[in-house]
Amino acid sequence: MIQLFNVTKTYGGVTPALIDVTFSVKKGEFVFLTGPSGAGKTTLLKILFRTEKFDRGQVLVHGKNIGKIPDRKLYTLRREIGFVFQDYKLLARKSVFENVSFAQEVVGADRKRIRFKTWEALKNVGLTHKKDAFPPQLSGGEQQRVAIARALVNSPKIILADEPTGNLDPEISLEVLNLFEHARKKGVTIVFATHDQDMIRSRNHRVIVIKRGELVER
Amino acid sequence: MLNSVSTTISNIKSNRQVFLVSITTITIAFSILGLFLVIFVNLNSFLTTWNQQVQLIVYLEDTVTANQRQVLEQVISQNLDIESMTFIPKEAAWAKFKNTFSSKKSSFVDDLKFNPLPSSYSLKFKPSEDRILKVRKFADVIKKKDGVESVEFGEKWLVAFEKFMVFIRIFILAIGALLALGLIFIISNTIKLSFYSRQDEIELMLLIGATPKFIVIPFLIEGMLQGLLGSILGLSVVKCLHIYISVQFKGSFDSIARGLDFQFITIPLIFSLLMAGIFIGWLGSLISIRQFLSLGHTR
Repeated sequence: MIQLFNVTKTYGGVTPALIDVTFSVKKGEFVFLTGPSGAGKTTLLKILFRTEKFDRGQVLVHGKNIGKIPDRKLYTLRREIGFVFQDYKLLARKSVFENVSFAQEVVGADRKRIRFKTWEALKNVGLTHKKDAFPPQLSGGEQQRVAIARALVNSPKIILADEPTGNLDPEISLEVLNLFEHARKKGVTIVFATHDQDMIRSRNHRVIVIKRGELVER
Repeated sequence: MLNSVSTTISNIKSNRQVFLVSITTITIAFSILGLFLVIFVNLNSFLTTWNQQVQLIVYLEDTVTANQRQVLEQVISQNLDIESMTFIPKEAAWAKFKNTFSSKKSSFVDDLKFNPLPSSYSLKFKPSEDRILKVRKFADVIKKKDGVESVEFGEKWLVAFEKFMVFIRIFILAIGALLALGLIFIISNTIKLSFYSRQDEIELMLLIGATPKFIVIPFLIEGMLQGLLGSILGLSVVKCLHIYISVQFKGSFDSIARGLDFQFITIPLIFSLLMAGIFIGWLGSLISIRQFLSLGHTR
């Protein structure tokens, strides 16, 4: 599903962010990506999502070399991947329902399907009662649940989550983690970046550790 | 498409003031251009009418013989470009002159004891594109014939007027080009503001798999809409002005240019201006979208 071969990335050609990183993630697998702050977790996720380019190596997603996808065709990759951000990236002007349905509008889904799928996605994260609320009216945990609903609503094959529980307290973090577990059970591949060691220990998933841009464990 | 239109409406709503300022600027620019075009259209029509009315007058010497006149008439009748020939004897010319210029206030014309006017031939040429050239060529031939005193067809006026029209044409093209450049710049900036006000949304759209076309189309529609609305309003302003001038100064026009209507811009020209408005709007948007994309906001 995801394969990285000797991926190297430097910022400005000087500061190394990733050095010779090689690993793979199988279809339907849940993987924790961990390491101290500044280790290169976010850079790695951004490379997989092609919001960052890399200097050397190869990255395959579904066997497709993503380094060779032209910018104008990037949407094909991003429709297969759901990304959950630490800062949620919700649109403050849109309601909860509109934020989730927006993800389907941009890929050209029809109105009937949009309504049905949005409702279903909100039901899965337990937020149907907040459908008309606006993001600033929600707690951090609720906002992240909306972001997860938005990431899942187009039935992606992969979810990349960048510290999705970084701003949440432990109890809410577990609730959020369970939403990802639920997605995995449906066959979605999950790469979950976190530096919360308690959370990692609470589950029996493979852990990829990065330190100073280098892979320490896989 | 429906989505693009609703996004366009939403873009306009969130930047209503900038949108209105942009439309007002386009309206003013198109009003200026429209006014120049109205002046041009009317001058052009004046020139065309004048051209069609040009007659070659061949003035004869007082001592012209019947034999010389016969030769002249033969030369005239052999020219296939001449539609009609009218001989005006000096008595008839004098009678017509007296009829036109004698008045109760001045007895100068009536007191004149002799006829100063010569006999003449009035030659009307067949309508054609190079009519004036043909008149000029024939005038050169006939003025060298015996019995001819001089020829007259208002050449100096026509040449000067034609030169003036060439200048006006270049002037309007230059003004049009300058206004178009200014408008492209204004529209491009309006769209840029629209882009920046929705930057978070656009970035998110790209992250969740929107095609570049899906993002760009509403902004292109917005630019084209600005161009279209601005040009329609601009031309409407000119039309209102045209109606006002036509009604207010009707009598004056009749005395300046008898038989000529004060014309508005032709339908094909109106259509071309509206198309130009849409094109300018599209180009302005495209420039700002390209800038936005090249800055990497949307990667």
